[in-house]
Amino acid sequence: MTSQKPQKLTLFSACTVGLLLLLLAACAGGASNGGGLASSQVLKFPTYQSPGSWDPGQSTAEVDSEIMQNVFDNLWRFDDNLKLVPDIAATVPTQANGGISSDGLTYTVHLKAGAKFNNGDPITSKDVVYSWNRAAALQGPYASNLSAIAGYSDVQTAAGAPPSNSSGGGTVSFQQNIENRLAANDPKFQMSGVSAPDATTVQIKLAHACGWCLTAWTLEGTTGAIVDEKTVQTDPVNWWSKPVTPGQEGGMVGAGAFYLASFTAKQSMVFKRVPDWWGSPKPSLTEVDIAIHDPSAIAADVSAWEQGSFDLLGYGGNSGTLTYPLIQGIKGNSRFASQFLTQPKGRTTWVSFNVGYPTTGGPFLGESATAKGLRLAFALAVDKNGLASTVCHNVLCSAATGGVITKGLIGYLGDGTDPLAKYDPAQAKSLLQQYDPTGRLTANLKYSYNAGGLNDPVAAYLQNEWQTNLGIHVSLNPSSDASQFINNRLAGKYVISRDGWQFDYNHPQDWFDNLWGYVATAGGSNTSGFDDPTYDSILKRADAQPLDQAVDLYKQLSQLLQQDAVYIPLYYSDGNFAIHSYVKGAGSNTAFDHYWNEISIQSH
Amino acid sequence: MVTRGTLIYIGQRLVLIAFTVLVVSFGVFAVVHSLPGNAFVSDRVHGRALQILLHEYGLDQPIPVQYWSFLRGAVHGDLGVSLYVRGLPITPLVLRELSVSALLGGSALIVTIGLGVTFGVLAAVRQNSWVDYLLTSIAVVGYSVPSFVIASLGILIFGQWLNNITNGAVFYPEPWTGNYGTLTELSLPAIALGFYSSGQITRMTRAAMLDVFQQDYIRTARAKGLQNRIVVLRHALRNALVPVTSILGPTIIGVVTGSVVIENIFGIPGLGKEFVESIFQHDYNVTVGVFTIYAVLIGVANLAVDLVYTVIDPRIRY
Repeated sequence: MTSQKPQKLTLFSACTVGLLLLLLAACAGGASNGGGLASSQVLKFPTYQSPGSWDPGQSTAEVDSEIMQNVFDNLWRFDDNLKLVPDIAATVPTQANGGISSDGLTYTVHLKAGAKFNNGDPITSKDVVYSWNRAAALQGPYASNLSAIAGYSDVQTAAGAPPSNSSGGGTVSFQQNIENRLAANDPKFQMSGVSAPDATTVQIKLAHACGWCLTAWTLEGTTGAIVDEKTVQTDPVNWWSKPVTPGQEGGMVGAGAFYLASFTAKQSMVFKRVPDWWGSPKPSLTEVDIAIHDPSAIAADVSAWEQGSFDLLGYGGNSGTLTYPLIQGIKGNSRFASQFLTQPKGRTTWVSFNVGYPTTGGPFLGESATAKGLRLAFALAVDKNGLASTVCHNVLCSAATGGVITKGLIGYLGDGTDPLAKYDPAQAKSLLQQYDPTGRLTANLKYSYNAGGLNDPVAAYLQNEWQTNLGIHVSLNPSSDASQFINNRLAGKYVISRDGWQFDYNHPQDWFDNLWGYVATAGGSNTSGFDDPTYDSILKRADAQPLDQAVDLYKQLSQLLQQDAVYIPLYYSDGNFAIHSYVKGAGSNTAFDHYWNEISIQSH
Repeated sequence: MVTRGTLIYIGQRLVLIAFTVLVVSFGVFAVVHSLPGNAFVSDRVHGRALQILLHEYGLDQPIPVQYWSFLRGAVHGDLGVSLYVRGLPITPLVLRELSVSALLGGSALIVTIGLGVTFGVLAAVRQNSWVDYLLTSIAVVGYSVPSFVIASLGILIFGQWLNNITNGAVFYPEPWTGNYGTLTELSLPAIALGFYSSGQITRMTRAAMLDVFQQDYIRTARAKGLQNRIVVLRHALRNALVPVTSILGPTIIGVVTGSVVIENIFGIPGLGKEFVESIFQHDYNVTVGVFTIYAVLIGVANLAVDLVYTVIDPRIRY
C-alpha cells in the first residue's frame, strides 16, 4: 500500500504538469506567431481607387498594374530585386545563351513546358504572337514598349483608322475590329517581326538595335502580358472587367497565380488562387479580398488594421495614401512600430521650366546665358533638404540630390551629385542680380501645379523660398482638375510648373526617352520643350546599346540636363506600408508590391 | 377611387415629367461635355492613345450625336458605361447606389415626419406652455441651421469629442466602409438630413392643429365627451395633415438633393456621392445618368404627393 501511494502521486503530478503544459502551449499558440501557416489564408487590404482598365493592352494606373501582376504573366518578370527572371519563357535571352543574335536584332524565346492560362488552356507561341500584335494594334499607353519590333508601325497604321461610325452606329468598334482582323490572320495586323516557328518558340526581330526592349517587354500588366485570344474574343472591349467563372469561357483570364472571382464596382474585389497553378512559388494564399474605400476612410482603415480586420495597408498602389499623422500614430505605438515599412518608390518630382516653347515664352526660354542663369538661380534658391523635412517630415519623401532618376534605380547618379540640388541662396541672388537686375524678367511669374496631396504644401514652400532667397514673388496657379493641368503641361503651356515621373521599368531609357529630347517631342510629352541635338544623338546611341554599355551614356544625358539647368530637383517619393508581422513575404521594392504568391499568413 | 380625370391628370404629369427629364438631361449632358479635361488623360495617356480612347467611347462625336446615343440607351434602361472604371455598366451601379440613398432618404424622412409631426402636435396641445416654447425653439433652430452644419457638428461631437472623452466607448464611425451601413452609421446622417425639414413640419403641424382646434366639429367632439387623445389623434390630426402634406413634396426634394451633401460628408456610397465624384473624375456618363435619375425622382415624388392629397382630403379631385 505504502509503496503504491507515491506512484499514484507521481502519476497525478505528471498528468497535472502535462495538462498545464498543454494549456500553456495552447495559450502561447494564440498569442504569438507560431511559425506555421494559419488555417485561413485570406489576405485582406483596402484600396482607394477603382480599377481603370485591367486590359494589358490599355492599362495605365499603378493601382491596376499592382493587381494585374498577380493575374497576368509576361515572358519574363522582375523579381523582388528588380532583376529579370524567366516567367513564361524558359530563360532570359542573352547573346551568351544564344537567345539574342550577335547583331542584337533577333531574339529567340523558348516557352516553359506546362505554362497555361488559368482556364486550363496551354500557352503556346501563338498566344504570344497574338498578345503582342493585339497590344500594338490597340496603341495603348504602353504600346511603344513594342515599337522596336519590325512591322510595329505597319500594324498601327492598319489599325489606326477605326471605323468612323464605331461609337454611334452600333457597328463594329475599334477593338472589335482589331479582334476580327487578328482572328482572320490579316497580315496587316501582324508585326512582321514576331513569329512562331513552332508551338514553344517565339522569334522576335527588331527593326533596329534596342538595349531597353527586354526590360520594357517585361513590364507587368501592360503590353508584354500574354492574354488568351479565346477569352478576349468573348467580349473584346470588356472581357477584362468580368470575374472568371470556373468552367466557363470569358472573364479576366490570365496566366498568373490568381484570378478575379468577384468584382463589385467601387466596393470590393475578390481574387482566388488558381488551382494547380503552373508557376512557382505555389501560392499559400487561397484568396485576396480587396475593399475599395473612399480615400477619406484611411484613418478608419488604420484602426481596422490595428484591430486585425486588415492584414496590411499600402498595397495595390496605395503606398502614398498614409498621411503623416497616421504614420506617426503607427510608429508611435510600440505594438505596431515594427510593422511599419518605408520603401523608396521610383517617383521623382521636380520643377520644369519652359525651355523650348516660344509661344509660351517666359524668362527661362532658350539657351541664352540669361535664361540659363535665371533657371540656375531659381534652382539654387530652393533648399531641397528643407523641403523634404518641412513638407515630407522625411517620411513621405526624401530630397532629390542624385539626378532625375530615383535613388535605387539604374541611372541614379549618387547622393549629392546633382548640382541643381545644391542650396546656395547667395549664388542664387548673385545670378539674379547679374541676369535680371531690374526684376523685369521675373515679374508676374506663376507656378502652376495640380492641387492635392503634397503639391499644395510644396508649392507654398517653393513660393516662400523664392520670395525669401530671391525676393521674387511667384504667384501660385493651382489647378483643381489634374487632367487639364496635365494637358496644358504636355502642351508646354506653363512657364514654370510641377513635373515628375514614376518609372515604369528599371531602365534609364524610360526616363530619357519619355521626358526630354526628340522622342518625347514626337510622343507629345516633352513638357519643358528641351530639344538639344547633342542630347538626341547620345540618346540614340544609348537606346541601341546593351544596358551595361549604355549606362554611362545615360549619365551623360543627366549631366546635359543639369548643365542646362532644365529642371529643379525636388524630392523622391517614399511608399509607406503597415504590414502585420504574421503576413510573411509581403513587402515592396522601388517598383511594385511583392507578388501575392510569395505571401502567406502565419499563425497568430 | 381612381377616376378617369385622375388618370388623365397622371398621364399629363407623366408627359410633363418626361419632357422635363429630357430637357434637364440634355442640359447637363451639354454642360459636362463642355468642361475642360477628360477622364482619360494622364502623364501616359495622351496623343494617339488618348484619341483612340476618345473615339472608342464616342467622345469625339458632336454632342447632339452623343446625346442621341445616350438617349437611345436610356429609354431601354441602359445609361451607358463608366469612363473612369472603363467599360463598367452604369445602370446596375447607380441602381445599387440609389438603394443606399433611398435607405438614407427614407430614414431621414422618418426623422423629418416623426419629429416634425410629434413636436407640432405636442406644441399645439400645450400651446403657450414651456413645452410649446421649447419645441418651437427647436424647430426654429432646425430650419435655421443647414444640414451640413448639423452633420459637421455631429461628427465633431460623436466622432471626436465623445470618442476622446469616453476613450472610444462612444464613437461614431466615419466614413461608411460597408454598403448600406449599420444602424449606428445610419443614425447621424439621417438626423442631419432630416432635422432641417422637421423644423418646418413642426411649425406647419402646430399651426394647422391650432387652426383645426377652433373648428366646430372639434368642439362637438369634445362636447360628446370624447377623450382628448382621441379628439387630437383621430379628428384633429388627420385634417391638420392636409396642409402639412403640401410641403412634403418640397421636403422630399430637399432630402433627395440634401443627400448629395450629406453623403459626401459622411462618406456614404450613395447616388449623391457618386454624382460629385463623377464630376471630378470627368465620368460624364455617370454624371448625366445620376442627374437624370434625380430628375425622374423629383418629378415622381411631386406627382406622388399630389396624388396623396386626394387620399387625405377627399374634397380634392383631379
